[in-house]
Amino acid sequence: MLSRIKSYALDGLRGYSVSVEVDISPGVPAVDIVGLPDTAVKESSERVHSAIKNSGFYFSPRRITVNLAPAHTKKGGSAFDLAIALGMLVSTEQAGVDDNKKPLSSVSDCVFLGELSLSGEVRKINGVMPILISAKERGINKIVIPYGNANEARYIQGIEVYAVKTLREAVDIINGVPAVPVEKSDIVIGSSTSAGEDLKFVKGQYSAKRALEIAAAGGHNMIMIGAPGGGKTMLAKCIPGILPDMTEAEALETTKIHSVAGILDDSVGIVTVRPFRSPHHTASKIALTGGGSTSHPGEISFAHNGVLFLDELPEYPRAVLEILRQPLEDGVITVSRAARTVEYPANFMLVASMNPCPCGYYGSATHDCSCTPAQIQKYMGRISGPLLDRIDIHVEVDEVRYDELTSSENAESSNDVKERVNAARKLQTARFKGSQVHSNSKMTSEMIKTHCALDASGERILSKAFEKLGFSARAYTRILKVARTVADLDGNPKIESKHVAEAIMYRSLDKAVR
Amino acid sequence: MLLSDIYLWLSYSGISTRKLNRLLEQISPTKLWDSFAEETKLNLDDKTFSVLKRTRNEEYIQKIKYYLEANHIEYVTRADPLFPASLSEREVDPPLALYYKGDIHLARGDKNLAVVGTRRASPYGKYATEKIVKELASAGFTIVSGLATGIDGFAHASTLEAGGKTIAVLGSGMNNVTPVSNLALFDKICKDGLVLSEYPPDVHGSVYTFPQRNRIISGLSKGVLVVEAAEKSGALITADCALEQGKDVFAVPGDIDKPRSVGTNKLIKQGGIAVTSAVDILDYYGAAPNTKPQAIALDFTEQRVMDILSGGEKTFDSLVEKCGLSVSELNKALSMLMIYGLVHEKSKNLFTAS
Repeated sequence: MLSRIKSYALDGLRGYSVSVEVDISPGVPAVDIVGLPDTAVKESSERVHSAIKNSGFYFSPRRITVNLAPAHTKKGGSAFDLAIALGMLVSTEQAGVDDNKKPLSSVSDCVFLGELSLSGEVRKINGVMPILISAKERGINKIVIPYGNANEARYIQGIEVYAVKTLREAVDIINGVPAVPVEKSDIVIGSSTSAGEDLKFVKGQYSAKRALEIAAAGGHNMIMIGAPGGGKTMLAKCIPGILPDMTEAEALETTKIHSVAGILDDSVGIVTVRPFRSPHHTASKIALTGGGSTSHPGEISFAHNGVLFLDELPEYPRAVLEILRQPLEDGVITVSRAARTVEYPANFMLVASMNPCPCGYYGSATHDCSCTPAQIQKYMGRISGPLLDRIDIHVEVDEVRYDELTSSENAESSNDVKERVNAARKLQTARFKGSQVHSNSKMTSEMIKTHCALDASGERILSKAFEKLGFSARAYTRILKVARTVADLDGNPKIESKHVAEAIMYRSLDKAVR
Repeated sequence: MLLSDIYLWLSYSGISTRKLNRLLEQISPTKLWDSFAEETKLNLDDKTFSVLKRTRNEEYIQKIKYYLEANHIEYVTRADPLFPASLSEREVDPPLALYYKGDIHLARGDKNLAVVGTRRASPYGKYATEKIVKELASAGFTIVSGLATGIDGFAHASTLEAGGKTIAVLGSGMNNVTPVSNLALFDKICKDGLVLSEYPPDVHGSVYTFPQRNRIISGLSKGVLVVEAAEKSGALITADCALEQGKDVFAVPGDIDKPRSVGTNKLIKQGGIAVTSAVDILDYYGAAPNTKPQAIALDFTEQRVMDILSGGEKTFDSLVEKCGLSVSELNKALSMLMIYGLVHEKSKNLFTAS
């Protein structure tokens, strides 16, 4: 007898319905899976065999053909195990049939997802959140997922989700036994101050801390330059704690990516704190952008709506850095392979750190630099102009003095800074209402014209600064954007000369790399 | 045969200037030229003799002249009235010819001052060079240096920035300017100043040529200012040349624990004149500084920062603590003061009143 069980698969973040057809016919005992399965899917026959047997069912020793329709798209992963097993059970009339051996309605109106263990347990899978969202949009209202993924389902309203622990429980559902769906709950945006380090533990570094505040408020990309041991990494780790709270839409978007990649914390099931990703400088291009045979998302997508921290920027191969340029501009990365093209969101704030020279001590007050001018130039040259062009804020980070380390004076905590950041973001949200832009850093040139108008004194300071401090032309719009954020932090709808003056302080590399 | 052509012949021969000068003490240039025609046996070693003999023909000299013209390189020899008088002194070991681009009259100026220093300049050296040189240049001094990386380059660049005149003395031929990173500066100096070399255009710089040209740097100048120099630095050779030639030696003092200041501090110990601002040099030569009346109205916060900085350099952090201003107010004040030119960021996050 032929049976048909619904399942679901992902292409990037978009889902599509997969129909698992199982047919049993007389012949030499064998299981054939067709419909472009990868190795993980092919191996599922072994898992399904044992799971059926160990759940107390009978595995029919006949010729079994499994088709995953549509047959032209590549299927990967272990999520079809449950659907295949149920299909076999329905085909052999062990489940999902009424007394007259007719399939029950519960067989056809439910989607089944899950990996099976040999004992018949249902194991958790990747990508449940985007599948649920996509399935809901396609009008599916009943879905069975592994119990381990239950938390992800709590936040998707309008779809009935059942979490099962074993194959037996799934069989109960297919047999129409009433079950309790997963309880829904509202998204609670976590207090991100618990994330990372707190600014109150950073001694001194007033200039850098202010830069962090401005960067967080306007979503500006920033780079920190300083000698080793200055606390650049520590400062970077403080950023998640002062970033504005995520919105619900942002939380869901980021969770989708983390869910697909399998890096979601199952005990929570949703990302409510802005992600902070710091890939090591040995990371490959694909690791950063995503790709590979399965078109997996990369680090820049994991950092969506959060921070991508690149420590020791010049140590990254140049090719890896150059690929960041387009996502930095567009907020998405398109992974194109011969077979398919997938788009992942990658709207992140880039935070980078670097030493001023190979030995690290150029310009240090306490150590002597042992590099030649050519070495320093070569080192700085590893970061291309176009990439630097996309970084709004440059800040020099000093080495910490001993008396600062031991001082008991209490610095401002991340919570206080965050309050100001949140207020500044609110102004921006109101300003950019109805557009694709969410923060000052992403302003288009037209928006800069309307929102960053300078008065005469501001204009005068800027032109003087260009002349005196030798800025390059690319600094101009960067300074305007940052000045806008400084004004927002001040709660001022107009950019005044003092805001411009402060923005000018954070362009140190422009002076060096002229 | 013109005397200047004979000097050009000798200069192009590739024989060291010192050797040629010793030869010319014994025999006049015209006699030397003629002696080869008469097959007289001179007191020369074989190599020198054969080189001079091979190149001694008028056609060859004519070709050299065409070549120089085609490359837009001009030259003066010792026989020309334009040849800088200061280089004709015996102590200088005068070059036979100078190849140049730009305004040769600069080399005869009486307000030339050499500014030299290490190639591996620290931000402090850069700051000191820029500050002092700009003032000297606007007071009418012509800055002489060697177009190397580091202090030399900063000295040339800040002179041009201040609208002054500068002379670059190369340790190689005009067609082999090193370092390549200073080519843009080279072009600018050719246009607005003077670049000269005692070596024919196609000579490559070597371990011998660079120290050799230092005597020309000091020879062209009234005095030599060494900004930053390690214990063994080419800049100290220039200072030695200056002493031999009876020129003044100035040095900018540095930290006693920095290798890059050992040379300059030693110069001061040996009697060099310590220079902490351009006024020291201007006073020494009785020149008037080009003071511009400064009437900038500072607001309260800016004045406060200035008051504190007048007590010496301060880091950003200590300014925050001392001024009692918020970080954004301080950022704004410092930014404005830097634009006014009243405050300078000496090295990262270290501010000082200029």
